[in-house]
Amino acid sequence: MMKLHRVLAWSAATVVLLVVFAAYLRPDMALTLANQLWACFQ
Amino acid sequence: MSAAAASSARLSMTQVLLCGAAIVTLSMGIRHGFGLWLQPITMDRGWSRETFAFAIAVQNLAWGLAGPFAGALADRYGAFKVLIVGSLLYALGLVLMAVSTSGLAFTGSAGLLLGMAQSGTTYAVVYGVIGRNVAPEKRSWAMGVAAAAGSFGQFLMVPVENWLIGGFGWQSALFILGCLALAMIPLAIGLKEPAQAAATGAHHQSIGGALREAFGYRSFQLLMAGYFVCGFQVVFIGVHMPSYLKDQGLTPNVATTALALIGLFNVIGTYAAGSLGARYPKRYILSTIYLLRSVAIVAFLAAPLTPMSVYVFSAVMGVLWLSTVPPTNAVIAQIFGVQYLSMLGGFVFLSHQVGSFLGVWLGGKLYDSTGSYDVVWWIAVALGVFAALVNLPVRERAIERPALAPAAA
Repeated sequence: MMKLHRVLAWSAATVVLLVVFAAYLRPDMALTLANQLWACFQ
Repeated sequence: MSAAAASSARLSMTQVLLCGAAIVTLSMGIRHGFGLWLQPITMDRGWSRETFAFAIAVQNLAWGLAGPFAGALADRYGAFKVLIVGSLLYALGLVLMAVSTSGLAFTGSAGLLLGMAQSGTTYAVVYGVIGRNVAPEKRSWAMGVAAAAGSFGQFLMVPVENWLIGGFGWQSALFILGCLALAMIPLAIGLKEPAQAAATGAHHQSIGGALREAFGYRSFQLLMAGYFVCGFQVVFIGVHMPSYLKDQGLTPNVATTALALIGLFNVIGTYAAGSLGARYPKRYILSTIYLLRSVAIVAFLAAPLTPMSVYVFSAVMGVLWLSTVPPTNAVIAQIFGVQYLSMLGGFVFLSHQVGSFLGVWLGGKLYDSTGSYDVVWWIAVALGVFAALVNLPVRERAIERPALAPAAA
């Protein structure tokens, strides 16, 4: 039972991390971040 | 107090971890996306980028300088009260940041107020509660969980804040974040310690005595030196790598993906470092982290620069990013006990912030004078080797106090 809880917790954590990672790769997000990063050095 | 009574006076580990992790997620996360406000605020207010950057620099310095004081207050009067004041300052700073119409007011709110707020709501204060309420054998792991939560907050809040700015405008987004900062208040209730818990770890040492003891102890000096290097490397890379990639002709998308990879692997690295600290000597973990950073930088510089080499470097550096936080603080608890853990953690963090300042400043200064980042990269490599070496002789045993009880609680 304990093992199942652990597997579920780790799976949930992995899914959340991947969802946030995917948010960075959305075109609008990538564009904003790129603009912000590059704007600092222009 | 009997061991059973002391144990019952403690907060439950689950409660401490849930509330502490949520607080650190918010406090570390909210500030991490501030760069997203650079363009809208400077354009709307007609300020230069220097005005914005100066306020953020003041914020980082205030965070470091106020850390030992916030820590000492938390150790003396309880983390709960410091967290409440910190949360209120956080909310106030964000609201004033939104309505500031002069550079001075912006520096006072986004810089001074938010820097002080962070010192009262981040690692040092929360780690004091963890130290006093989690059994020594689980302390490093618990600190790893809290640090991973902070890393996750940084990772999560950038896209969230970008969405808030896009959906509500930059000013309303700051008001919303101000409300979010107030959510730390009910969470702080979960970290309100019974009076007996503080007494459990007490050794009736004065603040002055604790400071004299720590600063006169070689291992504390070595830990501070190591943490200085951590700040130097992380902030130099975080701030100057996009510019470096641009100089090398890579596209903006590469830098964006690199940022995301650092954030993702940072969460994994901080948790792993805390877990490893529960099983292996923390000085070896710290030494390995600093050495691997140097190896990673050398490999990055030596290999042909491609998007893939940037991604691999970012993932490796992500794992090593804030992974120094749990072992460093766990060693301090192990050596000096938990009575002044927040204050001593605050001093070590001050050393980190001085390193951060130098990393940003030297990066720009040497780039201007030499036309490239080569010198600073190699300084970062040398400092990594230095930090790896200075952490090796750190003594993790509880400090001997002839007139007092042993430190390890």
